Order: sequence, then structure tokens, then C-alpha cells
Amino acid sequence: MLALQLLFNALALGAAYALVALGFVLILNATGAVNFAQGDLVMAGGYGGLVLARMLPVPGVVLLPLLMAGMAALGLMVALVAYFPLRRRPPEAVFISTIAIGIILQNGTNILFGPELARTPALLGDGEFRWLDGVGGGLVVSAQSVAIIVVAALLIAGLHLLFSRTQFGRRLRATAQDREVASAIGIPVDAMVAATFAVGVALAGAAGLLLARGFFVTPNDGGNYMLKAYIAVTIGGWGSIPGAVAGAALIALFEVVFPALPALVPALGGPAFSQNGATIVLDALILVILVARPQGLFGEASKARA
Amino acid sequence: MEIVLDGLPLARRLTRASALLDITGLEVRYGGIAALRGVAISILPGQGVALLGANGAGKSTLMKAIIGLVRAAAGEIRFDAVPIGSLRPDRRARRGIGYCPEGRRVFPGLTVAENLAVACWGDVARKTDEMFALFPALAARRASPAWQLSGGQQQMLAVGRSLMNAPRLLLLDEPSLGLSPLLTDEVIGRVPEIVAGGTSVLLAEQNAAKALSVCDVAYVLKTGVVTAHGPAAALAASDDVRAAFLGG
Repeated sequence: MLALQLLFNALALGAAYALVALGFVLILNATGAVNFAQGDLVMAGGYGGLVLARMLPVPGVVLLPLLMAGMAALGLMVALVAYFPLRRRPPEAVFISTIAIGIILQNGTNILFGPELARTPALLGDGEFRWLDGVGGGLVVSAQSVAIIVVAALLIAGLHLLFSRTQFGRRLRATAQDREVASAIGIPVDAMVAATFAVGVALAGAAGLLLARGFFVTPNDGGNYMLKAYIAVTIGGWGSIPGAVAGAALIALFEVVFPALPALVPALGGPAFSQNGATIVLDALILVILVARPQGLFGEASKARA
Repeated sequence: MEIVLDGLPLARRLTRASALLDITGLEVRYGGIAALRGVAISILPGQGVALLGANGAGKSTLMKAIIGLVRAAAGEIRFDAVPIGSLRPDRRARRGIGYCPEGRRVFPGLTVAENLAVACWGDVARKTDEMFALFPALAARRASPAWQLSGGQQQMLAVGRSLMNAPRLLLLDEPSLGLSPLLTDEVIGRVPEIVAGGTSVLLAEQNAAKALSVCDVAYVLKTGVVTAHGPAAALAASDDVRAAFLGG
């Protein structure tokens, strides 16, 4: 029963991480540049949700579309300020400019909100469901976790439909795969890249709202989320969209299960099995993957141009 | 007697007025090196034009200059009598220029049907059916990602994609590259059909004999300069061209 509980918790966490990683990989594919502000944009989404909640006392799920629209606008601004003026420079220029955006967001929220833990409203409510009470401690499922899974699943499904069923989405993919040819067959590629920033940052914002209930948010959280997106995309295969989702799920599973290992396997114990220990092992693992399997665990064949 | 008006022979003026594409004095530079110098080309509506030349003669550069992927240092490009030299590539494409790049460059992760759809601003279903009629081999692979196709199928897809927006001018850059003679026939053999449908074609080819056999007019490029042009039949018979391209 503990295993089932952990699996459920990992699913909820992984669903939110998947949104972060998806936003990251979409921008990566469209521009070839790493958006190092992605983590701070998740954090900004958390505070954005907080501000909206002060203005409108409604459940988080009602705030979500408003927040995503606002974050999409912020994404356009990031593209305008940190990407378009530098797109003909080497990719390092965009690394630095997005890092700068991240630092501005971090310090800006610190000035506006202070360094204390903040919390967004629950998506629907703070209730809990208890199932199978008699069996091995039962299964406790918070309404927020269920809502996170449902909302993230709907967003991912919506994204899939956008990319596979609409001309706009297909043209976004075409632009990501060969920008020069895309423009030569009539696709306005700059508008497509700007739209990708809007979608990618809206996803970061949604993740921020989802995560900042159970895990709170502080202005310094960005780096942590950034690293998770980066690791998820590295594990999943640089540029692979399904890989990013799978990578996010694996990271969440690891983060949830690793500290709980002593409870599952009584022979294990000690301070190593903690959140900090999990972070160390995860980052050590990324070094191994980068060296031994640079295409990621699910390296995608379709990325190779035939 | 030749009639000259405003410094241009009248015959040339009339051609310019009715030309679909008219290029004069085109120069393209890569760094300090001129890839094209003083290029003048005129394509009439419904004309198949071969662009011949050895590797590095500037054929691809000319194609890219017409669609806007490289910027001209000097000269003028008029499409439908409108100067398009300052327009972005996507604007030129939407005005009616189809571009099929060298090396095919289909979108590898998109399916065959999606590769066609993204290039269409009209009735996607109807145009897709037209392409499947033109290249039946593609119809069976419509749901396959493009990277899984053979080289010949990818070339057909690239040609199909460049026709999806019903262009009035099609730029075909080296469609025979890397294809077997049979597949080359399959692809280049479609040019008369495309021209008959009302689309002018500029076909860049190293395979001069093949290109001349499907075109009305030809231009010969050598190190960035047009060295000969005229009716395809006349060029095919010319000793100079035969020596340079057709193996004597």
C-alpha cells in the first residue's frame, strides 16, 4: 500500500514537472537555444497565481487560464528582449540573456514579495480522499494532487492536439525542425518562434500555480526547477517531446521513492535517504548519462535528418 | 533594325513586361566573394526553364536569392512586375513562388500528409489528393514520418510540398541529387506535367541532358555568371554546352 501511495504522489509531482520540461523543450526545439529562465518563470507563475488570488477570491482552477494568458504575454516579452535581438549570435548569447532574465525575475519577486514562503490557492479545494482504509495504512489522496494530475493531463493532451491536429501546431513543429525551409515555403517563422515562447512560458506558469500549493514558492526556487527541466530533457533525449514527459516522470518517481526507501526496505537507513540525498544522486546520475548515453535514455531517431 | 526605348531594346522591354520572374544585374556575395555577378534571367508564365552549371556555379545561390534565403548585394528581382527583393522568404512564397530545396529537406518528424499540409494555405484535402495523384508512391506512406521514406520518396515529397500552395513559379533545386536514373526520370519527368498545369518551373540541374529534355529554355551558369542562354533544343545542340555538360 505504501508503494501505491508513493506511486500516486510521484504521478502528481511528475505531472507538474512534465509541464516545466515541455515548456523548456518546445523553446529549445524552436530556437536551438536553452532557455535558462524556465525555472524562474515557474517561480514567477507561482507568484502570478498569488497576485491573481488576491484580486479574485476564486479556486485556482479558475485562475489558471488567466494566469496562463498573462504568462504567455510574459513569454512574448522574454522572446522580444532576450531572444530576437540575439538570434544571429552564437547560442551562448541566449544562454546568458535568459540567465539574466531569470535573475531579474528572482530579485524582482524578492523585492515585491520578500523571501518568505508563499502559497497559491488550491485548484479545487484542500480535501482528502481516503481509500482502502483497512489495508496497510490505506491510501490518502489529496484533492489538490488529483486536480494536478487531471489539469496537467488535460494540458498535455491539449498540447498534443494543438501540435498534431491544427495547421498552427504543425507549422510550429515544422519551424522547429527546419526554420530556413519553413520560411521558404511560406511560414512566418519569427511569429512561430514568438508563439512558441508564449506556449512554453504559459506551461511554466501553469506548473508554478500547480506546485506552489503543496510545495510553496520562494523567489529562489527557480534554479531548482530549471535543473529538473534540464535533467528531464537530458534523460528523455535532447529535443524529444515524449522524452521530456517521461524524464519528468522518472525524476518525480525518484524524488518521491528515494527518501522513502528505508520504509520500503528496512535494511536501508541513515541520513543519505533524504530529499538532499535524492538531489545528490540525481545530479550524479545526470553526469553518468551525459557521458555514457548523451542521446538520453529515449534518444529519438526522428531527430536524425535522413 | 533594332528598336531601342529608354535604353532597352524593345523586344527585351516586351519580355520584361510580360515576364513572371524578371531578374536584372543580380549580385550575391558570400563574405568578400561574389557568388553571382550581373545575372539576368527572365521566365514567362507557363515556361519550363533549365538552369545548368557545374557544382559551385551558383545555381543554388540563385534559387535562394529568388526565394529570399540569401540577400542580393545588387540587382533587382521582380515577380509579377513587383520588386520582391526586400521581402522575407515567407512573403515571397505566399505571393506564388514554390521552393524545393537542394537535398530535399523534408520535415523529418512530420508525417507525409503533415509535410504537405504545412505548406498549403488553401484547401488542404484537395491539394493533398492532387499531390498523391502526381506521386502515387506517397499516398501509401501518408501517415509515415518523413524520415522513414526512401530518398526518392523524400524528393517526391519535397516537390509535392513546394506545389501545395499552387505556386505560379516553382524553383526546383537539383531534384536528381542522389537518385537512381529511374527515380530521376520519375521526378524530373513530372516537370512537363507541372508546366502544363500553368506553373512556370526553374529547374537547376547538373544532369543537363535530362533538364534540357523537359524544358523550353535554358540558362548556363559558370562561376556566378550567365554564359549562355536560349531555347533548350539549341543549347542541347551547341558544341560549347555539349563539351561543358553533356560529356562531348
